[in-house]
Amino acid sequence: MNSQAIPPLAPDAPTVLEMSNISKSFGAVTALVDVSIKLRQGEVLALVGDNGAGKSTLIKILSGFHQPDTGTIVSQGKEVRFASPRDARAQGIETVYQDLALIGDLSVFHNMFLGREYHKRFLGLNLLDNRKMREQAQLYLDTLGITIPSVNSTVDLLSGGQRQCIAVARSIYSSPKILVLDEPLAALGVRESAHVLGLIQNLRQQRQVSVILIVHNYNQIFEVCDRINFLHSGEVALDASTADTSEEELIRIVKSGLGSRAIDAAAAEVRPGLV
Amino acid sequence: MPPTETKPAKKTGVKVPHTMTERLLILLSRYREASIAVVAIVLVIYFQFGSDGGFLSPQFMSVVLRDTGRLGLIAAAEVMLMITGEIDLSLSAIFSIAPYVMALLSVTYGLPLAVGALIGVLIGILVGAINGIITVRFKVPSLITTVGMLFFLQGIVVSIYNSQPIVAPVEQPFNAIFGQSLYQPSDALLSWHGITAFTPFLWAVVLVLVLALVLARTTFGLHTIATGSNIIGAREIGVRTDRMKIYNFMIAGGFAAFAGIINTAQFTSADPQAGSPFLTLQAIAAAVIGGTSLLGGSGTVIGALIGAFVVASLNNGLVMIGAQATVSDIYLGAAIIAAMILSIQVDRLRTRRRV
Ligand SMILES: Nc1ncnc2c1ncn2[C@@H]1O[C@H](COP(=O)(O)OP(=O)(O)OP(=O)(O)O)[C@@H](O)[C@H]1O
Ligand SMILES: [Mg+2]
Repeated sequence: MNSQAIPPLAPDAPTVLEMSNISKSFGAVTALVDVSIKLRQGEVLALVGDNGAGKSTLIKILSGFHQPDTGTIVSQGKEVRFASPRDARAQGIETVYQDLALIGDLSVFHNMFLGREYHKRFLGLNLLDNRKMREQAQLYLDTLGITIPSVNSTVDLLSGGQRQCIAVARSIYSSPKILVLDEPLAALGVRESAHVLGLIQNLRQQRQVSVILIVHNYNQIFEVCDRINFLHSGEVALDASTADTSEEELIRIVKSGLGSRAIDAAAAEVRPGLV
Repeated sequence: MPPTETKPAKKTGVKVPHTMTERLLILLSRYREASIAVVAIVLVIYFQFGSDGGFLSPQFMSVVLRDTGRLGLIAAAEVMLMITGEIDLSLSAIFSIAPYVMALLSVTYGLPLAVGALIGVLIGILVGAINGIITVRFKVPSLITTVGMLFFLQGIVVSIYNSQPIVAPVEQPFNAIFGQSLYQPSDALLSWHGITAFTPFLWAVVLVLVLALVLARTTFGLHTIATGSNIIGAREIGVRTDRMKIYNFMIAGGFAAFAGIINTAQFTSADPQAGSPFLTLQAIAAAVIGGTSLLGGSGTVIGALIGAFVVASLNNGLVMIGAQATVSDIYLGAAIIAAMILSIQVDRLRTRRRV
């Protein structure tokens, strides 16, 4: 089902996002050094790297959760500065965080609409329109083919994979321009992984959404990604197109360039099923 | 991709077999207010028989409900904070200082009580804001921030006027609206004076219901829960968690100030010692007995009001049926611990089902 080739990116696809010379330290820990990445419209960019390489930190800067120490972000042609995730979301940048950012004590539908709740006027008060949110959430999850016991149940009660599905569904609900996914497949079964990868493909082809995908499984990368950036010790060590690179070649480059520790890590990463 | 091929079939997932005790705990967690209400009713019946019918007399009820009102306001405010994962131990001092300022302004400058009350409530809100800002900006645990604030305010209030109680003037319609003396034996239940004996309690009921509405039906309430349930996640998705905490500290300060004001209106006296730290502790006890966990992320303000009624009933009822005043503390202590054990069992059940 997933063997269809990735259609090539339009040669004139405009750049929608450019993060330049981003550095970030947490006290004594340097997470990112002078990292630059570029994303074109409709492109799916894989961000790979060892544990602790700084992938999550980079996308949390893009999402407005962290502020960079240095560097600039240019989105849709103009420089932006995100003081909080609200700003990034307002600009059409949606993020699925590695920790999913779901609220365990709230229901599925409240989680779906957290930060952009529907309201109704009642006696002059601005109250939550729970009915509308419940219906919309149910409808939307049905459309995406995501089945959960009930949109009313609290997220606490869902399985890890179900929660991951909710987080992904939430991120694409508002038709983002840029979608950032930090290991969205980590807890998903084979079917669900394929399903989410399919969703990414659809978004890209039908709505020209640009995607940054952090994922450890190289098979999955070659299934959906146009380009791959390898982050190592807080720096971009490799920027390659998946069309010009074969899976074996990529692994060889990663191995040869980066010492034995990276070889083991890369070997572990390509073992199928080990995510 | 064709949907038939990709639809994940996941209908199972939350089916966990439960023992009888677990089922009972689940039931309790779902209907926390109801279970505490049952406790309250049992207590009322016990005291009613123990006192040969004196407990439910309007006169005695006006005392119990007065205590319930002021305790319930503080307990409900404390619940909002506990939901965000914070606590405020300075509320008793705000309870003292707000009406003291009101009475002082009235006595020395002839300011109308209503204006003084407004100033008092604003002071409470301001103190709450300071508590909140110190807690979130400087990352001082709120337990410490507010204990500091408690001593600070207590020091101020006793130094303003040599720690003397002030007789607050009676003004109409202020006192009719906010409270004027307890129920007298000569009152008829449906007389104007008879009804105004319960106004402080009615205020508490109205405000707690408003808070319950805010918690359950507004974005503010949703974000309050999100803040306490998963602060990092809430922040990642764009909830302004710092603000949510500060706002809830402000609500708590305002509520405590208002509780102090209706208390003073009813006693027509502002005593700098009116709110001992014990008041805050009783309010927290009421919140816990009412079913609010200390883990953050959930809580019930209506439960807190009923919990306040339980505490007030214990305090007054035991004395009425002839126990020593101190005996009520024994029961209160036991009740707090029992409620906590129950609450933690319920929470553990909830977290155990977390994957
Ligand atoms: N909030 C923080 N405070 C301090 N250090 C941090 C913080 N967040 C990340 N770091 C550090 O920054 C470095 C990069 O972490 P990051 O989470 O970005 O890695 P990653 O590439 O996403 O790893 P993984 O594949 O394990 O998710 C690590 O050394 C980590 O310890
Ligand atoms: Mg990460």
